[in-house]
Amino acid sequence: MKKTKTIFEDGNHKWVAIVRDPDKPNYLIDTNEYLVTHGSQGMLLDPGGAEVFPAVFSALSSEFDPSALSAIFASHQDPDVCSSLALWLEFNPQMRCYVSWLWAGFIPHFGGSAETFVAMPDEGVDISLDGLMLKAVPAHYLHSSGNFHLYDKVAKVLFSGDVGAALLPHGEDGLFVENFDKHIRHAEGFHRRWMGSNEAKRRWCERVSQMDIGMLCPQHGAIYQGADVQRFINWFDGLQVGISGG
Amino acid sequence: MTMTTALSTRPTKAQQAGVDLLRIVRINEEIKSVVGVAFKINIMALNAIFLAKRAGTAARGFGVLSNELRVFSQDLRDGMSALTGLIHGCVTEVSVVLQDIRHTALLRRAVELSPVACGRDVLAAREVENDRHAERLARLRKQLRGALDDAFRMVELGGVLAKSAKIEAAYGQSFALPLSQVSGEFDGVVEEIRSSLEALRRSAFFTGN
Repeated sequence: MKKTKTIFEDGNHKWVAIVRDPDKPNYLIDTNEYLVTHGSQGMLLDPGGAEVFPAVFSALSSEFDPSALSAIFASHQDPDVCSSLALWLEFNPQMRCYVSWLWAGFIPHFGGSAETFVAMPDEGVDISLDGLMLKAVPAHYLHSSGNFHLYDKVAKVLFSGDVGAALLPHGEDGLFVENFDKHIRHAEGFHRRWMGSNEAKRRWCERVSQMDIGMLCPQHGAIYQGADVQRFINWFDGLQVGISGG
Repeated sequence: MTMTTALSTRPTKAQQAGVDLLRIVRINEEIKSVVGVAFKINIMALNAIFLAKRAGTAARGFGVLSNELRVFSQDLRDGMSALTGLIHGCVTEVSVVLQDIRHTALLRRAVELSPVACGRDVLAAREVENDRHAERLARLRKQLRGALDDAFRMVELGGVLAKSAKIEAAYGQSFALPLSQVSGEFDGVVEEIRSSLEALRRSAFFTGN
């Protein structure tokens, strides 16, 4: 079963990271899921693949009533991001799924009906979670051509999807980045290959540098916090991406 | 010891559904070939009618039979078209059942792992839905079996007509040889369809073995 870790809490406003399943088969890439709750509602960010659904569901249900999940935020269209969608919808068929307009016709192949999907325009959108305003931040081509991150300015948390992701070796899989220089080695290859556009990367770095971010939470690997957030943005800004070995 | 082995070798629902899907796909392929042959019969029956007309009074009996064979070939095509529809329905339902099984297994595992009693009602609702799909598949399976039996009976009648045509061909005087050839080909094709349908009726998809 996955573990839950509350990374932000202020009254009924919470961010919970759902991470590190010791029973996960090695052939599946490890993923982090994040639950944002405010008031009586919850939103699950990148809920994960169908194969990890039991582990994510059981961990989440220890923190929150799954039938009270009002929305899912899918940063992009990958199977490890949202192929579990149909299973989550079993618990609340009225649940909404926020996706880039680009993928609004593709992700329904994982499940859902015409009413399920909220197609987000390229410039992003404000999403209300029981009165808490969350901002879908454009991150197109990082890596997907229709890609969004989610910013909570109250909690100062940016969910950054695949940006900031690291493929951590066994034994170096702490939830938070502790030694940036050591950690970033596990992120470098991933970013060089998966991120397709230097121009898009530049724009993203400029955009997020202007935000007040206390924690940058990727879908894989460890969470950057404090000074490591800006350290990561600077590192990413200087990295040449869109390069394959072949 | 024997019991343990028997239990461990019993296929799971998912394995069974997977095997069912393969079987129904094979049945579909067989039916497609039978439909092709049934179309050939229609052309053969037309040729037989023309031949009988040319032979005139000497082939009057053959002419009556070739008309009947033409009607039979049309009925056979209709029967095959109904079978094709049922097969497509079965393929869809088996696929739905396969999806249900995976879906339910993941839900069940999630509910079992959950430290709080959560999701049992959702799992129960899912199982009701699965039963509904399984019943629909059972109904379609029964209808398909019935349609195969009907087609088989129809083909047996076609076989009788073809054999009678062979006998009538012998009275065709100077046309006896070509009439005999046509009726012989007819008989061969009907026999081919009959064997195919007989094999399909014995498919483990219906017997469950």
